[in-house]
Amino acid sequence: MNISVYGEDRGALVHFDPRTKFVIFLVSLAVSANSYNAAAHSIYCAVLCGMLFLCGKKWNAVKMSLLLGFAVYIRTCMEMQATGSTVIVTIISFLVTIFLYFFPMLVSLLIITQTTRVNQFLSAFQAMHIPTKIVIPIAVMFRFIPTVGEEWNGVRKAMAFRGMSLEPSAIIRHPVRTVEYILIPLLFSCISIMEELAAAALARGMDSSQQRTAYEPVRLKAYDYITIILFLTVGIWFFAAGLITGGAA
Amino acid sequence: MIELKGVDFHYGGENGTGDGVDGIDLTIADGECVVLCGRSGCGKTTLTRLINGLIPHFYEGELIGEVMIGEHNVSKSALSETSKIVGSVFQNPKSQFFNIDTTGELVFGCENTGLPRDEIGRRLDRTVRDLKLTPLLNRNIFELSGGEKQQIACGSVYAAEPQVYVLDEPSSNLDKKAINRIHDIFARMKANGNTIVISEHRIHYLMDIADRFIYLDDGIITGEYTADEMRAMSDETLAEMGLRCTDIRNIPANMQNDSFQNAAPALDVIDLSCSRGNSRILDIDRILLPENSIVAVVGDNGCGKSTLAEVLCGLSPSDGSVALGGTFLSDKQRQQQCYMVMQDVNRQLFSDSVLEEVMLHASVSKEEAEQTLADLGLADFADRHPASLSGGQKQRTAIAAALCAGKDIILYDEPTSGLDRTGMQRFGELLNSTRSKVRLSFIITHDPELILHCCTHVLHMERGRVTAFYPINAEGAQRIRHYFRSKSSDTTSKVREKQSQIGKILEYAGKERSKVYWAAFLMMIGAAASVLPYGIVGVLVRKILRGGTVTLAASAPLIGAVLLCEILYAVFYMLGLRVSHHAAFATLENIRCKLQEKLEQQPLGSVMARSKGELKKLFSDDIESIEMLLAHMIPEGAANLFVPAIALLLLFYTDWQLALLTLLTAGIGLSVSGRMYSAGMDRMGSYFAASKRMNSAIVEYVNGMEVVRVFNRDGAAGEKYEKAITDYRDLALNWYRVCWPWMALYGSVFSSIVLYSLPFGILLMLLGQLEISNYILALILSFGIGPLLLHCMNFVGSIPQVSFKIQSLEKALDEVPVKTGDKEITGDHSITFENVRFSYRDNEVIKGVSFRAEQGKTTALVGHSGSGKSTLAKLLVHYYDVSEGHIRIGNTDLCDTSLEQLNAHIAYVSQEVFLFNKSIMENIRAGRQNASDDEVIAAAKKAECHDFIMKLPKGYDTPAGLAGNMLSGGQKQRIAFARAILKDAPIIILDEATTFVDEENERKMRRAMEQITAGKTVIVIAHKLSSVRHADQIILLDQGAIAAAGTHEELTANSDQYRQLWAMSEETQNWKLKEARI
Repeated sequence: MNISVYGEDRGALVHFDPRTKFVIFLVSLAVSANSYNAAAHSIYCAVLCGMLFLCGKKWNAVKMSLLLGFAVYIRTCMEMQATGSTVIVTIISFLVTIFLYFFPMLVSLLIITQTTRVNQFLSAFQAMHIPTKIVIPIAVMFRFIPTVGEEWNGVRKAMAFRGMSLEPSAIIRHPVRTVEYILIPLLFSCISIMEELAAAALARGMDSSQQRTAYEPVRLKAYDYITIILFLTVGIWFFAAGLITGGAA
Repeated sequence: MIELKGVDFHYGGENGTGDGVDGIDLTIADGECVVLCGRSGCGKTTLTRLINGLIPHFYEGELIGEVMIGEHNVSKSALSETSKIVGSVFQNPKSQFFNIDTTGELVFGCENTGLPRDEIGRRLDRTVRDLKLTPLLNRNIFELSGGEKQQIACGSVYAAEPQVYVLDEPSSNLDKKAINRIHDIFARMKANGNTIVISEHRIHYLMDIADRFIYLDDGIITGEYTADEMRAMSDETLAEMGLRCTDIRNIPANMQNDSFQNAAPALDVIDLSCSRGNSRILDIDRILLPENSIVAVVGDNGCGKSTLAEVLCGLSPSDGSVALGGTFLSDKQRQQQCYMVMQDVNRQLFSDSVLEEVMLHASVSKEEAEQTLADLGLADFADRHPASLSGGQKQRTAIAAALCAGKDIILYDEPTSGLDRTGMQRFGELLNSTRSKVRLSFIITHDPELILHCCTHVLHMERGRVTAFYPINAEGAQRIRHYFRSKSSDTTSKVREKQSQIGKILEYAGKERSKVYWAAFLMMIGAAASVLPYGIVGVLVRKILRGGTVTLAASAPLIGAVLLCEILYAVFYMLGLRVSHHAAFATLENIRCKLQEKLEQQPLGSVMARSKGELKKLFSDDIESIEMLLAHMIPEGAANLFVPAIALLLLFYTDWQLALLTLLTAGIGLSVSGRMYSAGMDRMGSYFAASKRMNSAIVEYVNGMEVVRVFNRDGAAGEKYEKAITDYRDLALNWYRVCWPWMALYGSVFSSIVLYSLPFGILLMLLGQLEISNYILALILSFGIGPLLLHCMNFVGSIPQVSFKIQSLEKALDEVPVKTGDKEITGDHSITFENVRFSYRDNEVIKGVSFRAEQGKTTALVGHSGSGKSTLAKLLVHYYDVSEGHIRIGNTDLCDTSLEQLNAHIAYVSQEVFLFNKSIMENIRAGRQNASDDEVIAAAKKAECHDFIMKLPKGYDTPAGLAGNMLSGGQKQRIAFARAILKDAPIIILDEATTFVDEENERKMRRAMEQITAGKTVIVIAHKLSSVRHADQIILLDQGAIAAAGTHEELTANSDQYRQLWAMSEETQNWKLKEARI
């Protein structure tokens, strides 16, 4: 299982509140949707990489900024030289644009998932007064992703014993049957886990109407407020610029 | 107080089966521990659900009567209220946690009830302390073993501090180690005065906690027993009631009549290893399992059992060779012949009906399939949907599918977890009935009852290694019973490391790490300087092409710059190499010291079990290979990758299309070398196993040269040597055969990057998109990049080798050290053996030995050779840890004291005397380092050594190497005596020499011995009975157990065996004397 949803913030230089990270994520969405100024967009992306660095995923941050730098560099070189056949230029610039478009979303998502623990999430949700009825399913969903991974691993092995191939050729030849072989056992085992989980949840008082408390403190600190304000300003600026440019066009 | 008054309940609703409980009247007092037992489906789980309120609030059905906990009505109040006073732990550790990290899970219950944060913190601390969960804090729950998950589940409930604990079959998925742990947890809960209700099949571990056993049958309480009453029940009674054993000691064994003496091997595994990431999970020299056997694989969770099963089936990649039925097969081929019945059978049922499931990819006709179903008692269910079957039926469906698919080997992953006695026995019979149809049944299990009921062999695993393999006969049965009763080590599963190989090595470098980075930096400058001239030449060429005139004078600065660059390159490169070598050799020193430290802590026995060749290779060759990595690969590799990257960026600046093409070719080259890396990695294990064998064979050959020459040059030794060398050659060639196509490919790609950009560049020029000057510059840059990349790739080839060596190094560092503590040895110097058991690989050598050697008395251990005398001595000096029981000196257990302490108290004079290559004086001084020369000589005199030492060419200063050849066995032993006298330890262990000495020597020996033993606690391992007839106590050992003990007179009077031994000993004695007279 490589999908790591097990976030941790042990290596973090600055411990941001999950809510701050949410704001960053939302602003990133706005920036992606309204980025008409290439230079401003690139700077925003670089700042995000910096945030990732501060949140403790240093090596990831370095990798992401190298990728970003490379993409921007290629784009600049292409624009400067203005050579090449239209087909190649279109393909390459399309790829680069897509990459740059999704970059803020990707990095801000990394910031959220890789550097926040599940109970920090829950506390943050709680602090935002989101009802338990919504919070708990989200928590269970997080917990369920690795479970599905484990189950899938088991099913894959079981299929190998029965001579059911998972090679691309076999999947293309019998797409429906392959999906059936995968889904039936996967669903049955997930359902049984689901049911046991539900029973365990109730027995541990999860449906209690009482206000939950949080062991893990989440509190907005000064730097959180500063970050939120800065990002919101930038987001609004991008949005406004987008409106103007969009309106003009 | 829990009260159930006239409770009836039957499951209803959509999936209701109508099962349930009737007329339950039960009162459980506060602080009581009640175990609910009975067959599967008897209603024990229903009872637990009634108490924790899941019935009627979660499981629908008709409920009559009410359940009260004190004043609280469970059936009427909301679940969230009940959850505050009742804490529940369920059967399946997988499906009862909600967080991904352990700490979050532990406090989860407290958070739900809305406790203030300080209180939660306090409870978390208490829970962690009481239940000893510290090693599990801040972990990813998905990385934990089932047993550890269950401990976290218990901890989470414990932190919520309920009055009542309700536990529903908490042990069914656990191994013996985890059961021991949860036993302690439950004991703690009980000690806190809480009420505990446990529904459980395995009751043996609860015997000392439970106050009352409630027996349910078909939904009705039919009996109540105290723990004593349960213990008193015979196995037949328990079987009739469908209950599992109350004491592992009493499990009856179905001994196998079949000896398997002549059975062909069903499975033959040679040199198998398997790594995941950086850690090696399996490391197996040889497994040989006979045909038609049922092999139980036991060992703690995480010891590699499941991985072994997956490797055998060909599901996980591995190194080494696996033969099924005599032929070596590839992973794919093994997949076709093996089948695993998984613990979670749900995952392997794919079809809509049982018959269809069995026929899926089957090699049999429909009739045969139906017959198989009938044999397994599934005929009535042929048309049912597999999901609608019970657990046991699903399992049988899976087995039927395996049989119909014509599988040779069936592996079972914990098939009887959560089964009651009847289910377990039925499964055992099933195994027996399929035994003739399959080559081998391979069962991973934690269930001693299943093993003793139907298995033919047991395979023990520990930390990825096979530690023993033995059949279940009278002795084997006894051993397995003991295994399941013994305590396990309290290690927890390892935190999975995500560190890369290189990161790990840098860790070894420690403080030197910054030097490695520094070296890399210097080399980067050097490499950049080496590329710059290409750019300068490019600039010159561009000038010419643009029609400028280039005079020598004008271009002199540029030419000078080229020269300067070359000089800079040489200087920086050399500087870098110097720094990196400094770092590398300092690191090697660190590692060697660390390895030596580790070796000293390990059981001496397991160190000695390694061949000298292997150890030498470890210490010198393997560690040396890290030098290559640190001094060259990391800094040079970094430099050689960095500079092409810069050059590539420059190229983009010149012309992006050409650059893209270059990037593409370089990418292809890199992916090819990646393929080589993985292909090389795959074969690496076999290659290194062969080289290990060859090394040992060479060392053995050289050591035995003397014998080989005297006797027969072409004997078995030569053959073994030859075979090892041929094997190595074959495997090495094989490995290169896999690698060389890739090597050739990347070699050609990198060295001719230009080749690809040449035609394309011309095309661009013709299209008018590329200036000729830029084109030339691009070409020149490509020339510059190629060699650097190629240089880099040369390292890639050796990374697998180095990484493998590092792994074997890590493994050596990773061995379990002998258990030690830091307590002082207190009390007198008597020695107590208390029920000591010890097994060495497949054989249990010591089987429950208890005796006491009083202070100042002589105790003699006698017996035939192989009876375990010497092993007892080795255990006493802590060469090994005992498998079970205790050895004490005074009041102190050997495991609680340090080896240094122990050494100060014991002098061990062994049969083989090792003389250091120093003078005789120094050799004796080895007994006590600070002894003066006079003391040494005095000791030598006491040990009757003085006379013969003075006859040596240089007396006490004669080097032992020279003297070694002049000394007889008896004389060498007397030197050892002198050492012991010098050491003057209160306890003496004397392993009497078997090498016979002449009478003169013997008399002296006897006198020397008297000198040593005066006033000490002495243990003599005697081979000649006459010499110990005056011992205060004689212990007669027979096959690892005490046959008789007493003085010579007592034993002669009482023990036939002793008389025989005595007679035999006298006979040889006389025979010797007679011979001597002739």
